[in-house]
Amino acid sequence: MDIFVTILEQGLIYGILALGVYITYKILDFPDLTVDGSFPLGAAVTATMITNGVNPYLTIPVSFLAGVAAGVCTGLIHVKCKVRDLLSGIIMMTALWTINLRLAGTANVPIFGDDNIFDNDLVNKVFSGSLASYKALIIVLVIAAVSKIVLDLYLKTKSGLLLRAVGDNANLVTSLAKDQGNVKILGLAIANGLVALAGCVFCQEQRVFEISSGTGAIVIGLASVIIGTSLFKNIRFFNATAAVLIGSVIYKACVAAALKFFEPQDMKLITAVLFLIILVIGMDRKKKVKKNA
Amino acid sequence: MLELKNIRKYYNPGTVNEMCLFENFNLTADKGDFVSVIGSNGSGKTSMLNILCGSIPVEDGQILMNGEDISRLKEYKRNRKIGRVYQNPAMGTCPSMTILENMSLADNKGNFYGLGKGINKGRRAYYQELLSRLNLGLESKMDVKVGALSGGQRQAMALLMSTLTPIDFLILDEHTAALDPKTAELIMELTDRIVKEKNLTTIMVTHNLRYAVEYGNRLLMMHQGKVVLDIAGTEKQEMKVDDILGKFNEISIECGN
Amino acid sequence: MKKKVLAVVLGTAMTVSLMACGSKDVKVAETSEEKIYTVGISQFAEHGSLDNCREGFIEGLKEAGLEEGKNLKVEVKNAAADQGTAKQISDVFVSDKVDLICGIATPSAQAAYNSAMNTDIPVIYTAVTDPKAAKLADAEGMPAGEVTGTSDQLPIKEQLEMIREVLPDAKKIGILYTTSEVNSVSAIETYEKLAEDYGFTIVKKGVSQTADISLATDEILGGVDCLTNLTDNTVVNSLATILDKANEKKIPVFGSEIEQVKLGCVAAQGLDYIELGKQTGKMAAEVLKGEKKASEMKYETISKPGLYINTEAAKNLGITLDEEFVNSAVESFDSI
Repeated sequence: MDIFVTILEQGLIYGILALGVYITYKILDFPDLTVDGSFPLGAAVTATMITNGVNPYLTIPVSFLAGVAAGVCTGLIHVKCKVRDLLSGIIMMTALWTINLRLAGTANVPIFGDDNIFDNDLVNKVFSGSLASYKALIIVLVIAAVSKIVLDLYLKTKSGLLLRAVGDNANLVTSLAKDQGNVKILGLAIANGLVALAGCVFCQEQRVFEISSGTGAIVIGLASVIIGTSLFKNIRFFNATAAVLIGSVIYKACVAAALKFFEPQDMKLITAVLFLIILVIGMDRKKKVKKNA
Repeated sequence: MLELKNIRKYYNPGTVNEMCLFENFNLTADKGDFVSVIGSNGSGKTSMLNILCGSIPVEDGQILMNGEDISRLKEYKRNRKIGRVYQNPAMGTCPSMTILENMSLADNKGNFYGLGKGINKGRRAYYQELLSRLNLGLESKMDVKVGALSGGQRQAMALLMSTLTPIDFLILDEHTAALDPKTAELIMELTDRIVKEKNLTTIMVTHNLRYAVEYGNRLLMMHQGKVVLDIAGTEKQEMKVDDILGKFNEISIECGN
Repeated sequence: MKKKVLAVVLGTAMTVSLMACGSKDVKVAETSEEKIYTVGISQFAEHGSLDNCREGFIEGLKEAGLEEGKNLKVEVKNAAADQGTAKQISDVFVSDKVDLICGIATPSAQAAYNSAMNTDIPVIYTAVTDPKAAKLADAEGMPAGEVTGTSDQLPIKEQLEMIREVLPDAKKIGILYTTSEVNSVSAIETYEKLAEDYGFTIVKKGVSQTADISLATDEILGGVDCLTNLTDNTVVNSLATILDKANEKKIPVFGSEIEQVKLGCVAAQGLDYIELGKQTGKMAAEVLKGEKKASEMKYETISKPGLYINTEAAKNLGITLDEEFVNSAVESFDSI
């Protein structure tokens, strides 16, 4: 039973990251590697705030804003300096490594003894007795659900529609008398805000900031998005954001299964195999749709 | 009123491939003019439209919109007053969004895209009424993704979307070229109706000589960056396709085609 | 359709072949009256020293009377250097209700402590260089909770003594390190504090990735009399490059553990990670048997470092080593 709690917990935390990756990869069509830097950025901000005794709940909005700033920088590099999308992300990711290290002071900042969003007087009072072992899961679930719902609502606003349009057909945005560059920057800002938020929650669940925690974050994010959107493409009940969250949980479940049955060093190969199967199955479906149309 | 004054445009300036397209190019379209532009490939028709809209820069010259110099204005800012339909039907719509979402997006042109509701349910009936006039059955597909529509349907949507909000100018860039004859006919009729209804100053580039003759009150023929024929009024009305074709061949022979 | 079948077949084949070669069955004694202890070992990454720690740990348990297959069940998981996976591993150990978790290397130790925080499962760690900085122990070295173990802090004092012995005239010691490795940063602090006592000054050069090593080596070799290594992962992984460049300039390089000396470092006052693991295993046995509580045990460092010498490396550099010195080595190598 406990293992499922862990899978859900970590799956949903990375799910928040995957929501951000969904915005850049699926909506903006922008392969954004900033993620590898903005995820630990959220963690670094959080660890620094917590060791300085700031209320842990404040870390959530502050981390989000830090991520927004990182996203805006990537956007400005891409739009104003006309650097290619992939390279802008790499530049920002590299820069963030130093920024994260400077922010946190060292590469590893444990926050075992301090209050965090999962462990403080208020939370412990609310979740007592048998609920105690589920408190982290419930809190993560609330944060992930709120992120998902707010994102869903946002995508239905005028600004959200424009954001979807810029990835779909940037030319139309220009036709609508809007600067597509600004819309892209906005999208990158929101996406990296979510990623940093995931980093913030991750740091508090792990009770430690570790500089290397961002390495490969983009891969986990992409995997979740691809698994989610490919598997639940034809199921009406799940919209894309729900599918992405579930995709992330599935990814973590695969990690857990692999840990159970395989050596962890084989994980990447298993992930690759999983990717391949899901992608190929997803592709077949797409063809069918086209034929019917 | 649209004016191009002393436009100078080079391609690949400063390289061995430097090519002069326009040297002192001038054009004026009066308010309410419907100008059809024809010409062989490479005569500068589409470049002219791109210069007007700001999609490509010019070396020298002025672009005036209702008397105001817009030469320094960015493309997206010029588009506030301009509607543009491209040859490729995919350019004017968002394929992964529904018809309703596309219409709502276009309906907000000129306003702030903020955190208000993206879709105004109250406008749905109005959109349906507009779509029903196309006779393409789109009014019953409001929640269908535009990507699932045919090229003709999409182009009709693109035309409708680009003229949904109050604009002064309509730029049509071979907008019927990718369509089958029957759909092309339908789109042309629709274009004419909208232009007349909204009294838009229109510039239409086309390769279809019949459309050029049939529609609009003025006809331009371009060749190697120059206007070689510019007729309007009764002279235009009396023009036949064969006359144009004759003139066209003359030019082509000069070039050795 | 064909493609789909192919993908599935391919996938299954790969997975099955992995399963065949990958999974190791845990041996459990079938007939035993006494209690069988279950220990979960969470190792952070695949790494020579960490592997030695693990082997030594199991060895140490055995020496204390807890033997795999008899009264001990050991589950080994490796996080492949992923922090999230490390947490997942220790979470699984906690849900499996193991009797003790052993975390090898700082991130795994921290993850294990975090997972077991609200349970009564003790955590024993090893290869954590600075348990205080990792918040696993307080400023006095007492455990932060039911967590203790061994530190692989470098025997810096002994190392400095050794360098003075080998190079009586040397003044400047160069150290290459990775700015993002906490352990290296704290080791350098100690070096800088102690160097003066032996008449040395420390010249440090930070890198951020493997790609920087070559340039950084060229730069540092210009202004030092010798180099000494830490257990810095990035630097140690590029040791061959560093040795190459240093040998060209006839500048001796000192190591920090046996493996580095084998590769061509002149000498090292180093840790024997197997010994460290054994020491940890004995601590774990005490906790398992209920003789002591983890929270009452101060973390330990290795009692006595061992001297390792590479006589061939010294010969190549034209260094004559004192015979007595050579004889005091735990192990000496005569080839590179």
